Amino acid sequence: MKEQWRLIETGDNTAFTNMAMDKAVLVSISRGKVPPTVRFYRWRPSAISIGYFQSLEEEVNLDICKNFGVDYVRRITGGGAVYHEKELTYSIIISESHPKIPKNIMESYRIICGALIKGLKNLGIESTYVPINDIITNGKKISGNAQTRKEKTVLQHGTILKDVNIEKMFFLLRVPNEKIKDKLIADVKERVTSIKHVLEKEISFEEISTAIKSGFEKEFNIELVKGTFTEEEEELTKKFEKECFSTNNWNHRR
Amino acid sequence: MKMISRSIYKVPKGKLLKIRLNYNEKTNSIDEISITGDFFAYPEEIIDFLENELKGTLLDKEIIFKKIDSIIKERNIEFIGVNVEGLTKGILMCKK
Repeated sequence: MKEQWRLIETGDNTAFTNMAMDKAVLVSISRGKVPPTVRFYRWRPSAISIGYFQSLEEEVNLDICKNFGVDYVRRITGGGAVYHEKELTYSIIISESHPKIPKNIMESYRIICGALIKGLKNLGIESTYVPINDIITNGKKISGNAQTRKEKTVLQHGTILKDVNIEKMFFLLRVPNEKIKDKLIADVKERVTSIKHVLEKEISFEEISTAIKSGFEKEFNIELVKGTFTEEEEELTKKFEKECFSTNNWNHRR
Repeated sequence: MKMISRSIYKVPKGKLLKIRLNYNEKTNSIDEISITGDFFAYPEEIIDFLENELKGTLLDKEIIFKKIDSIIKERNIEFIGVNVEGLTKGILMCKK
């Protein structure tokens, strides 16, 4: 029988809840309470997440976000600022000592991105992993990913773009030099794509999550079984949301 | 004379490093430094530690390189998208 991992689909949540859920599962896995876990999630309201080492004020147009009801949150993972709107977000959380996860960080990016690539293939999209943390199709980025390792646990989360609105993204994000913003937008449009653009049609979140689920099952030779959070994870989520991800102290720390 | 400066440096084959530096022009040393950007470091806490350790350090290429290099080797730090050369360069680019 194949090894069974847990799949949790949480639908729409705020940025603060989403980041708290990932951290809650990380703690739960580090305590040996639950099997490796894959989660699919979305963001409502739409939100910007910034990398652990980024300066919030330098990267995000806070006033505009507030005016337009867009949330912002600092992640526990490094990497860049992301505008989360029309995308499926995933996370995978697994013990660092699990035999299916490489000890080497770059190798583990490659393997986890391999699951997404197999998933995209189920949708008819050919893609490849490009280090450090991107998946590209026809030369354009369709997925960005970020990994942390703490408490002997690997957490990787990332986006699979269903659709993308570069203008809106740049409206919400700050750039070092306003004068070249138009050129920057044109450049990014050349470098970023989405499932909708590649397939030239809209497909549902369910179709995407089904495809990605089977990508994980194939890549890791496991079965993903639908599950829910434990009570402890529910409590931890509330705690991390309140004490960390929704606080200025955390989000403005750089 | 207290100087406040910043730099943006794209690490070759890596990420964008953004550094803010307060330094003393007279002693040519770091008062306060903030290292930000879209890079990765494992474990992440090392960046706070480095910022603290760099306080008072002379703004000299070799001294800064050696200081960061010895800390990351000692503590088994893994950088992705940034490296000791890039950090050193980003810091010195802040010097007017």
